[in-house]
Amino acid sequence: MIGAMAAARPSQTAVPRDIGFFEWFFDPDTWTGPDGILASLVDTVVLCAAVTLVAVAVSVPTAALLAHLRRAEVSSTWLVSISRAVPTFAIAALLVPWSLERGWGFEPWPIFIALFLLAVVPIYLNTYTAIRQQPEGTVEAARALGYSERSILTKVEFALASSLILAGIRVAAIQVVATEPIRAFLGGDGLGRYVRDGFGQNNNTLVIGGIVLIGGLAALTGLTFVALERLVLPNGVRRLARQQGDKTP
Amino acid sequence: MSSAPIPSLIAEATNPIIRWEWVVEEWDQVWDAIVEHLILTMLAMLMGLVVSAILAAIALRFRWTMTPITATTSLIYTLPSVALFALLAPVFGNLSRWTAVLPLAAYTLLILVTNIVAGFQAVPASVRDAADGMGMSPMRRVWSVDLPLAVPYILTGIRIAAVSTVGLVTVAAIIGQGGLGRLIFSGLRRAFWTPMTVGASLSIALALVIDALIILVGLWLVPWQRRRKAATR
Repeated sequence: MIGAMAAARPSQTAVPRDIGFFEWFFDPDTWTGPDGILASLVDTVVLCAAVTLVAVAVSVPTAALLAHLRRAEVSSTWLVSISRAVPTFAIAALLVPWSLERGWGFEPWPIFIALFLLAVVPIYLNTYTAIRQQPEGTVEAARALGYSERSILTKVEFALASSLILAGIRVAAIQVVATEPIRAFLGGDGLGRYVRDGFGQNNNTLVIGGIVLIGGLAALTGLTFVALERLVLPNGVRRLARQQGDKTP
Repeated sequence: MSSAPIPSLIAEATNPIIRWEWVVEEWDQVWDAIVEHLILTMLAMLMGLVVSAILAAIALRFRWTMTPITATTSLIYTLPSVALFALLAPVFGNLSRWTAVLPLAAYTLLILVTNIVAGFQAVPASVRDAADGMGMSPMRRVWSVDLPLAVPYILTGIRIAAVSTVGLVTVAAIIGQGGLGRLIFSGLRRAFWTPMTVGASLSIALALVIDALIILVGLWLVPWQRRRKAATR
């Protein structure tokens, strides 16, 4: 247990109080080293990417299959009502003692599970509605052409729905990146530590640095997905998505 | 102010996840946290509702404003909560309730505006024409025809917004506010799990209770919906 604890030990960022923000932020030493910004950035990005990938791996196939079979409609609409209301912080806090008791440390498990629950909902919902709303006629035409059920799902429904599915993943990823900083306040690290340590040391330079880094990463995540959508999706699919209406925020 | 928990303390901690004697003994403290949590939620919701109502009215009256209003509220919605709370802490001071209420209210805007607008847009044109034909003034029509018909949509928005606000209030504990979130931190700092478990589970329970309450209010406010559902069955 002690070993896991040492791994999860939150290291304090120590910075002179009177240092100016720009002086601190643009100093190369601030970024490098085991306690540097880059290390925290990698920490955060790896966790967020892992959470999003696992959520995609779990929700996309499940939702696609259920929507294709026209199953679980009620539970899917019920999910809408809790979609924006997953109390990530409370869930993570509840899991911390539980995780420590098992010797798994402060992180990543409590925050991983809490963020995972946050990410699953928009991905599942978007995949489900996107596949569900594909026109009956298109699916019937594919069936008449001799497509197997499996190919209908993957080559017709999934292909046509890909834009909305990707939009769901984008929403989930942005929410995960935007929520991840709470981890620093529950005994972990990541970019939130600059806000935490800034508060703890009453050092506004660190707090501002944390805000810039957290906000910057969230904005970058959104932009990455915009670029990804342009790169991955064929023009036709994107045009179709605009016609069907992007129903995600 | 929350600082990092002390690792050595936590490594030695062997206390159970919940100690019920503490809950009984310290009930006053728990109750205060619940009340504070509710006050923060209600202030944020009230403020969010007032601003959303104005924004929705603008969006409905001048259609072209719909896109910028949605874009702005969506952008606000994606702002990281830790960053937003931290940003306002130096502006209003840590001890001011507004430091917590303002971001919380800002997060409700997207959900509330979207639902209010959807509610008013869902009023059938024929109903609106009938009200005009009966000689209702535009103000009267909005109040006694459009608004009641939009209530189910608006209530759905209020429900989702309220439940997510209850969850976000706990995060406001990082700036020394946050009702039940403060219990979470006071437990974490001392490696004493009981307040942490109590704070976290009560905040989840509070969200569920508020959700159920708003559903009940909806049944009472728009009884015709239930009747119509029963009639179509």
